[in-house]
Amino acid sequence: MEHHSMLLLFIILAVFLAIVFVTVFVSSIKVSDENHGLKNTLRKRFWFSLVLTIVLGILTAVTLPKSPYFIFAKETPSKVIHVAALQFSFFMTEKEIDPKQPVGESIVIPLNQVVEFRVTSFDVNHGFAIYGPDMKLITQTQAMPGYVNSLRHKFTVPGEYRVLCLEFCGMGHQGMQTTFKVN
Amino acid sequence: MESLKLKKITALWIVTVITLFIVAIVLGLLMRLNQAEVISEEPLTFYSNMTTHGLMMIGIWFVAGMVAVNYLLQRYVNTSYAVSVFAFVFTVIGVVMLWVSTFIGKFSTGWTFLYPLPFKDIGASSWATPLFLLSLTVLGVGWLVWSVAMMAQIFRKYSLSQAFAWQHLFKKNPTVETPPFILITTITLVGVIASLIAAVIVIILYFAEYFSIGGFVNDALLMKNLIYFFGHTIANEMLYLGVAVIYEIFAEASGRPKWKTTWYVSLAWNTALIFILTAFFHHLYMDFVQPQGLQIVGQLASYLASLPSAAVTVFSIIVAVYKVKTNWSIVNLLFFLGVAGWVIGGMGAIIDATISNNIVLHNTLWVPAHFHTYNVMGNVLFSFAFFYWFSTQNINKLIMSNLTRVTLAVLIIGGIGFLMAFYIGGANSIPRRYSVYPAGLASAPYLAKIGFTFAILYLAAILVFFFNISKRCFAILSTPSSPA
Repeated sequence: MEHHSMLLLFIILAVFLAIVFVTVFVSSIKVSDENHGLKNTLRKRFWFSLVLTIVLGILTAVTLPKSPYFIFAKETPSKVIHVAALQFSFFMTEKEIDPKQPVGESIVIPLNQVVEFRVTSFDVNHGFAIYGPDMKLITQTQAMPGYVNSLRHKFTVPGEYRVLCLEFCGMGHQGMQTTFKVN
Repeated sequence: MESLKLKKITALWIVTVITLFIVAIVLGLLMRLNQAEVISEEPLTFYSNMTTHGLMMIGIWFVAGMVAVNYLLQRYVNTSYAVSVFAFVFTVIGVVMLWVSTFIGKFSTGWTFLYPLPFKDIGASSWATPLFLLSLTVLGVGWLVWSVAMMAQIFRKYSLSQAFAWQHLFKKNPTVETPPFILITTITLVGVIASLIAAVIVIILYFAEYFSIGGFVNDALLMKNLIYFFGHTIANEMLYLGVAVIYEIFAEASGRPKWKTTWYVSLAWNTALIFILTAFFHHLYMDFVQPQGLQIVGQLASYLASLPSAAVTVFSIIVAVYKVKTNWSIVNLLFFLGVAGWVIGGMGAIIDATISNNIVLHNTLWVPAHFHTYNVMGNVLFSFAFFYWFSTQNINKLIMSNLTRVTLAVLIIGGIGFLMAFYIGGANSIPRRYSVYPAGLASAPYLAKIGFTFAILYLAAILVFFFNISKRCFAILSTPSSPA
């Protein structure tokens, strides 16, 4: 989902639930003493549970295939970028990175082609979060010492992209970033 | 009946919890002020305050739930006064050690203390890391002993199957009825004990590496799984401790017959335990090396955990109130509001627990947005409802005054404004855990300022609650032990 669609969905759900709770609350004040509330609650509970289960089932079926582990999984990336994170910088290069002497280079990524970032860390956990030219987060993975996370993406908008660290990594965390170009 | 000694230790816990809550809120306010660029803290100060804020908030509301459950458990089984005092002493010592490690030693890894950050240069004093780990050890031992002691008392009266209310699954009117409070407490304590055992394993692994001086090296992925199993589970269980209290008091505070365990209540809580213990995998969605099966379990468990909560607890609260004349006091109203906050926060959580959304929400402000929702507007209100109920001891004395109405309105407005600044920040891709924001995220400082302003309103309401509750708690504490 788009960023602001998620916010809108949340606000709609929150307002709907707030209305439900306010309605229930008001009903308990305005009602007469003789009224004893809902009848056949077990049946209503059953239908409520069933509807909720179906909604969650549909959401699962729709969203799981869009998980980052599955998209572009069958495609061959046109380029592989090696990424190493180290307090408080990123090293990005098309060559393997030597942990003892990490060296990065300026990166240009081809437009509309699947590329793969092989992300690791040489010290602590970091985040590798790619922000688009509009400074919206478009994809991310973690940089974990001892492991390589492979993140695939197809960039469809040219421009300068920024990488921010999104896993707290120490007192310079807020300044840990780099850039690359897509064209 | 509950003994005076139990009342006194409960009153002492409550005053301590609210005092620590106010301290932790102030730390949070300072963080938002710094992000708003109104004040300028050193990053090290910001992050050590962030570490203290996170750990204190988890600890405070966990013990608040435990205090309430410990008090109410006395209605069914004998609980140990000595263990409650033991847990109190260990909590106070643990918090002081934590403060020394963060405020003086500048330990600053965040509450997650992800391996191997505590062993790297974080700008802290060399003694801060072992002291921090020791503070967690002290807290963990105190809480583990407390939880196990409560569980042991339940099992002295109820068999294993009775404590889990399995007899309700198969018989309509079983000979032994398990009260819902016992069922939920049992289920919750299983999760609490499991999470604390995970914490103990993490601490042992940390110390093993610390003392081996390079001879033993931990695995970052395993440590991350263990830390989130501990952190996620205990943060969820503190909410369920509050839910146990709702089952025990809500009907009573509303002048209704007590709720009973039925087959679907038993089924819901037993299945909830499975989902609560496996949902933590959603914290590792962005670690693509984690087996994919576990990632899918994370999403399924996160979704399914909402089913028993919504279909049983939330539905029951709504049925109990809808078109039924209800005498509203601050107690049942705070419970009711808290349930609304819990459900709305749950919506934010479900959106984030969807893997395809998490890729753009993970570690943005959306995360503190949703967990603050069901803490600030959920769990905290459950606990304050209990605090009011306990400190008054007579529900009829709790008349809804105009001051109470205004305080509640300020609390709701403050809470909503504070939380919306987080949600909008999350949708704007603003990272969490940043002392200051990079250029390009122009809305971030403004949202921090808005969040701070509304949080002040929330704090004002909490201070009114604190004044009301603590004066009653001090009256309980000053009651002579032996009546003349």
